[in-house]
Amino acid sequence: MSLPLSIPLWLPAAAAFLGLFLPGVASRVLVILGALGTLAWSIWAILDFERSAKGLQDVTDQVWIKQLGIHYKLGVDGLNLFLIALAAFIFLACLVWAAMKEWENASLFFFFLGVAESAVLGALMAQDLALFVLFFDLMLLPFLFLAGIWGPEATRVAAITKLFIYTLVGSLLMLAAAIATGVLVAQHSGNDISFAFSDLAKTPLPKGSQEWIFLCFAAAFLVKMPAFPFHGWMPDGYRNMPLPVLAVFSAVLSKVAAYGFLRVVLPIFPDASAHFQDLMLVLGLGSILYGSAMAFTTSEARLVLGYSSIAQLGFIVLGIFALNGDGAQGAILQAVNHGLVVAPAFVIVAYLAERTHGSEDIRDMGGIAFRAPVLATLFLIVTFANLAMPGSSNFAGEFLILLGVFHSKLVIAAIAFTGVGLAAVYSLRLFIRTMHNRVGAEVVSRDISFREGLVLVPLVAVIVALAFVPQFALKKGAPSIDRAVGKAQLITQPEITAVK
Amino acid sequence: MSPTTAAWLALACPLAGTIVNGLGYKLIKGKVPGIIGTVALAAAFVFAVIALLSLQGRGAEHRQLVSSLYDYAATGTIDAKLSILVDPLSILMMLVVTGVSTLIHLYSLAYMSGDRGYTRFFAYLNFFVFSMLLLVLAGNFFLLIVGWAFVGAASYLLISFWYRRTTATSAGIKAFVINVVGDIGLTLGAFFILKNSHTLDFLGTFSQAKALGANHHGDLTAGLILLLVGAFAKSAQLPFHTWLPDAMEGPTPVSALIHAATMVTAGVYLIARMHPLFEQSVAAADVGTIIGAVTLFVAATIGMVVTDLKRVIAYSTMSQIGYMIMGVSSGAYVAGLFHLMTHAFFKALLFMSAGSIISAMGGEQNLNKMRGFKKAMPFTYGCFIIGGLALAGVPPFSGFFSKDEILLVQAQIGGWHWILYVVGYVTALMTAFYTWRMIFRAFWGEPNEQAQTLIDTGHVWHAHEPTNPNNGEVEDTDVGFPGPEHHIAEQALPMKLAMGTLAVLATVGGIVLIPKTTTWLDSFLEPTFASSSVVHQASDGKLVLGLVLGAVLGLLGIFIAYTIYGKANGEIAQGLQARLPVLQRLFVNKWYFDELIDFAIARPFAWFGRFGQQTFERIFVNGALIGGPSTLVRAGSAAVRAVQSGFLRAYAALLLVGAGVVILYFLIQSS
Repeated sequence: MSLPLSIPLWLPAAAAFLGLFLPGVASRVLVILGALGTLAWSIWAILDFERSAKGLQDVTDQVWIKQLGIHYKLGVDGLNLFLIALAAFIFLACLVWAAMKEWENASLFFFFLGVAESAVLGALMAQDLALFVLFFDLMLLPFLFLAGIWGPEATRVAAITKLFIYTLVGSLLMLAAAIATGVLVAQHSGNDISFAFSDLAKTPLPKGSQEWIFLCFAAAFLVKMPAFPFHGWMPDGYRNMPLPVLAVFSAVLSKVAAYGFLRVVLPIFPDASAHFQDLMLVLGLGSILYGSAMAFTTSEARLVLGYSSIAQLGFIVLGIFALNGDGAQGAILQAVNHGLVVAPAFVIVAYLAERTHGSEDIRDMGGIAFRAPVLATLFLIVTFANLAMPGSSNFAGEFLILLGVFHSKLVIAAIAFTGVGLAAVYSLRLFIRTMHNRVGAEVVSRDISFREGLVLVPLVAVIVALAFVPQFALKKGAPSIDRAVGKAQLITQPEITAVK
Repeated sequence: MSPTTAAWLALACPLAGTIVNGLGYKLIKGKVPGIIGTVALAAAFVFAVIALLSLQGRGAEHRQLVSSLYDYAATGTIDAKLSILVDPLSILMMLVVTGVSTLIHLYSLAYMSGDRGYTRFFAYLNFFVFSMLLLVLAGNFFLLIVGWAFVGAASYLLISFWYRRTTATSAGIKAFVINVVGDIGLTLGAFFILKNSHTLDFLGTFSQAKALGANHHGDLTAGLILLLVGAFAKSAQLPFHTWLPDAMEGPTPVSALIHAATMVTAGVYLIARMHPLFEQSVAAADVGTIIGAVTLFVAATIGMVVTDLKRVIAYSTMSQIGYMIMGVSSGAYVAGLFHLMTHAFFKALLFMSAGSIISAMGGEQNLNKMRGFKKAMPFTYGCFIIGGLALAGVPPFSGFFSKDEILLVQAQIGGWHWILYVVGYVTALMTAFYTWRMIFRAFWGEPNEQAQTLIDTGHVWHAHEPTNPNNGEVEDTDVGFPGPEHHIAEQALPMKLAMGTLAVLATVGGIVLIPKTTTWLDSFLEPTFASSSVVHQASDGKLVLGLVLGAVLGLLGIFIAYTIYGKANGEIAQGLQARLPVLQRLFVNKWYFDELIDFAIARPFAWFGRFGQQTFERIFVNGALIGGPSTLVRAGSAAVRAVQSGFLRAYAALLLVGAGVVILYFLIQSS
C-alpha cells in the first residue's frame, strides 16, 4: 500500500482551490479532474482491499495537537470503503452535471463543491474523534454557502438560517460530547488524553456517562440525516439548494451521519447503545411511517424525494440499532444503495422540470413518457430501486435490515414492513403522476439528449450493476461491520453471539 | 444437455428478447419486435421440452436437481444464491408458462399491430415470461421473492400499458401495491421459516420439515400463513383480489397470459412447492383450503352479474383459482396442478376469443352492447364455445376431469370437507351459467351495428372518435392509446393459429389424467410429491358420483343460461334481480370489498398524511417553533444578505466559544 490517504482526500479541495485562479471552463475541468482522481483511487482501493486483514488499512497516523491528544489519523476498512466510493462517485457525477449548466460566479460555486467533497471524505476516513467532528462540521459549511448564494433569492436566507440553527445545535452537542469522551476516557484509563477511536474503544466508560454522551451524538446524527422529528430544516433546506447541490447533499451527507453511529457510537458506547436501542428503533420506525405519509401527500417532486429519504434513513437507523451483524450490514449496504438511487432521482427531477417550464410540481406534470422513452425507462429503474423491489440491491439491503430487526425485535420488524408497502405507493405515485396519465398543460416532452444522458446513464448503470451482485458490497464489509456492532450485540443478545 | 442447463437457457431466452427489443427500439421496425419476442418464447419452450426429456431420462430418485451460479447475498445468517431447482413440478410449470406464452405472443403479433407501443409491448411481455420462469425455477426463498416481485412489476407495466388512460394507471398502481403486500407476506413468512431452518434453500428447508413441525410449530404456522398472504395476493384470493378485475384495463393478450394462464396461478405453485411444510401445519393448510373455497364461491356470484365481458372472465379466473388453491391446500396436489394446466388452456382461449370480439366492437367491453356475432365471427364463436364447454366442465372437455378431481379429494377427506364439496358443485353450476350467459349474449340474437358492419362489408367497425370505454374520455390514438386498427381472429392468421391450437388443447388436455384410464400426470409429478404423507384413494362410488354430478350440473347451467339469455333476452334475470334487491346489490357491488379496503386502509393512511401536513409540518416545520428563530434572524436579514460569510464567522465563533467552555469545564474537572 503506497498512496497515502491524504492525497485522495485533499485532491478535490486542492483542485477546487487552484480552480479559483483559472478562467472559465478550465476551472470546472480541473475540479472534475480532481474528483475523477479520487474516484479512480477509491475504485482501486476497493479492488485492492483485503477482506481478511484485521482492522484498518492504508493508515495514516500523525499526532496533530499533542497537548490535546488529537491525531491526524485516517484509515479505510469495510465500514467506510463503499461509502467513500459512493461519495467520490456521486460528487463526480454531480460536478459533471453542474458543469453543464451556467452559474453566476462559477469558479466559486465549484470551489465550494470541491471543498465539500474533501470534507465528506475526511469525515468518512477520520479515525480520530476530534478529527471526525471537525470534518463533520466542515462539510456543512460549503452547503450553507451553496444554498445561500445560489438558492432562490426570496427564501434562501430563511432556509439556511433554519438549517444553520438546527445543525449548529447538533454540532455543539456533538463537540461537547466528543471532548467529554476524550477527557473521561483519559481519566478512567489513566493514560494521556487521546481521541483516536482505537484508544477510545479500549476503555469502556461507566454506563451513566455513556448515556448522556450517546444522546448528544444521536441528536447530532439524527438532525443531519434527518430523522423524524428532527427534520424541521429539511423542506426549506431542500427547496433552496440548486438541484446538483441537493443531489450530493441528500445522497452523501445523510450517510455520513448513519456511518457515525457505526463508527463512533456503537463501538465506544456499547452499553448506552444497548440501553437506548428501543428508543432508536422507535425513532427509526417513526421516520419510516411519517416520511412515507408525507412523501405520499406532498406535490413538490423534490420534497417527495426528501421525505422518502427520511423514510429510507429510518430503515438504516433500524438496521444499525438491530445491534447485530445482519442489520448493520444491511444498513451500510442500504446507505450506499440509497445514495445511488436518490442522486439520479434528483437528476430526473431536474430533467422533468426542464420539460414543464421549470415547474417541479407534480400536478403540472404528466404524460412525459410518450416522447421520452429512454428517460421513462431510466426513471422506472430508479423508481423500482427506490421502492426496494426484490431483485434490486436495495432489496438485499432492506432484507438484511428487516431480518436483523426481526431477530432482535419482532414487533418492530412487523410494523417496519408496512414501510415497504408505503414506499411502493409514494414511489410509483411520483412516477405515474410525472410520466404517465394525461399530458400536463405546460408539458413539452422530449427524450434526453446525449449530454443529459452523460450524467444520468452512468448513475443508473451502477444501480443495475449492483442489482446483480449485492454480494460484492456485502462481502468486503462484513468483518469490519461485525466488529463494529460486536460489543453492543454482546450486551443485548448474549446467547446469539455465544453460539457464533 | 442436462435439465439444469436447459432450464438456464430457457430463462435466458425471454430475457434476451427483452433486451434486444428494449435496446433496439429505434432500429427495429414493423412487426420485427413481435417476431423477436415470439421466437424468443418459442426457443424457451423448446428448452423446456429438452429439460423435460432430459429429466425423464434420469432415475425417478434423481429428478430433483439444483444448480447455482454464484452467491447473490450471503452473510453469516443468510445464504442467498442464484440457484434454480429443476424437478417435475418446475418443469410442468415451465412447459405451461412457455407453451401458453408462445401462443399468446403469436396472437399479439397480429392483435397489437397498429399500436404505438408495439415494441414496448413485446419487451414487457418477454420480461414477464422471464420473471415467471424465475419464479417457478427459483431454488431458494430469496430468488422466489425476486421472481415474485418481478412478475408483479411486469404485471403493473402491462396493466398500465396504455398509460395515458388514468383508469389504466390507477388499476396498475392498485395491482402493484397489493402485490407488494404479497411480497411482504412472502418475505416475512420466509423470515419465520429461516429463523429455525437457518437456510433459505428449498431442499435444505424441506429436509428439516419434520423437525420444524415438531419443535417450532408456532413459527412454522405463522410463516406458512404469511406465505399464504403472498399466494393470495398474487392469485387474487379474498381479500386481496380487488386488483384482478381492474387489471382488465390492460390489453387483452395481457389478460390472457398474466391474469388467466400464468401469473395468477403462482399462488397455487407456491403451495404445491411448499407442500412438505404445509403437511406439518394443519392450521395453515386449512386457512388455504377455506379461503380458496370462499373465493371460488364469492367470485362466481359476482361473475353472474358483471356486465363487462373481460371482467366476467376475470371473476371466473378468480373462482377457478379458488378451486386450485383449495385443492393444493388440502393435499390434492396433482389435481390442483392438473386444473392449473387445463385452466391455462381454456381460459387463455376464452380471453383470446373475447379479445377478438372486443376488437370487432372497437374496444367496447360492455356485454350488454354485444349482440349477434355468431354469423359475423364463426371462428371466434367456435373457440368461445369450446372454451365455454371446458370451463363449464362438460365431458369430455379438459375442465371436466380436472375440476372433478379436486372435488373428489374433498369427498375422500370427508368431515367438514363435504361442505367444500357441496360449495364446489354449486359453484360449478354458477360457472356454467355465467360462462354461457356471455356466449348467448354476445353471439346470439339480432346482429348489432358492429356485427352487421362486419357481415355486410367484411370490415371491422370503427368508432368515429375513440373514447376510453371506462370513463368516456376522448382518446388520441396517436399517442399510446389502443391503436386505430382492430384485429379479429377471422382476419388475422396468427390469431387464428394461436386460438386453434389452444382450442385443441382445451378439448383434449384432460387426457393426461383420466380416472381409471391414464395416470401420466400423476406418475410424472411423483418425484416431487414422493415425500408427501397425504394419500388419497378414491372409492369408485364417489368417483362416479362426482363425474355424473359434474356433467349434469354443467349442462344444467348451460340450459339455464339458454333459457334466460338464449331463448329470451334476459327478462327473467331482470325480474329475479328486482325481486332480490339485497343480493343483487351485494353482487353488483362485488361484496363491497373495494369499499372495505378503502375504508380500512386507504383512507386512514391518506388522513394521516394530511394530518401530518397540516399539523406537524405546518406548526413545527414552517410555523412558530422553528419559524421563531428564523423570524428573528430575518429582521437582520439585510445585513446577512449583504455579507453571506457572516454565517461563517458566527458559526466559527459559536463553535469556538462552545468548545472553549466545554474544554474549560473538563480541564477543571480532571485536575
